Amino acid sequence: MQRISVTVTLNRSTLQFDEAGFQRLEQYLADARRTLEGNPDRDEILTDLEQAVADQCTRRLAVGSTTVTLAELAPALEEIGPVQAPGATASTPAGASRPLQQVSEGALISGVCLGLARYFGLNVTLLRIATVLLLLATGGGMILVYIALMLLMPYAPRERGGQPLGKIPAKSRSLVEFIRAKLGVAAA
Amino acid sequence: MTVETKLAPIRKGLLEFLVLKIVGAHSVYVADILRRLAGTEFATQEGTLYPLLSKLRREDLVLYEWQESDAGPPRKYYRLTEAGKAQLAALDDYWNLINRTIADLGT
Repeated sequence: MQRISVTVTLNRSTLQFDEAGFQRLEQYLADARRTLEGNPDRDEILTDLEQAVADQCTRRLAVGSTTVTLAELAPALEEIGPVQAPGATASTPAGASRPLQQVSEGALISGVCLGLARYFGLNVTLLRIATVLLLLATGGGMILVYIALMLLMPYAPRERGGQPLGKIPAKSRSLVEFIRAKLGVAAA
Repeated sequence: MTVETKLAPIRKGLLEFLVLKIVGAHSVYVADILRRLAGTEFATQEGTLYPLLSKLRREDLVLYEWQESDAGPPRKYYRLTEAGKAQLAALDDYWNLINRTIADLGT
């Protein structure tokens, strides 16, 4: 069994897509939605893009044909181009300087491993396993290294509209910020 | 690093200035802006332009109004706000200053 066509409402236009076209369209819009994560104008931009896709596809449809296929959609999306957030570089080239920061989102404890993994481009799970092994090998001495890094590494700014922090990352972050404030007072 | 990769960020950074310039000259809709830039070094796409225009509108530099079109759905026509005109004038001045600086250096 195969779906012959899918009716899609794109902003103010309604169009028929075949299955392959529909999937490609869904993927494009999902990518756009992800790129615009945290952008206050996301919904408006997506509406504009939907209309642009509808206009482009309508223009490309052969006379008498009613269903948009990849033959129309692919060149349409090609012309519209991938969504790029204003001010952002198209893609961060490898080796571009990324700050060494703790990452609270998705952290297990404070985000040291996650930050190191991101900085060095390593797999975070492997890095965590290595950390635990070092912890065992050093008879717990690794804890001191972790605490030192936790206090020294700055925190990456929270992503706007990002996921809420887990209990432990949130607690350790506020603890570190508390200690830093105290030390700041002591130094002054 | 090739000349091309060095120039790409400059073009990208200038796009906002150029869009303000185009919107400042006439009330335009997106296809007009694309057409105006097509064939120049600043040719761009809707995927880039819509997010940029939304940002400019949020910064209160441009505003749009819906206008019916002969073919298809109504379109958003953009024009500059007073703040947009002021910023365009400031950018124009700065651009001229940069040009003079570049011309003066190396002589």
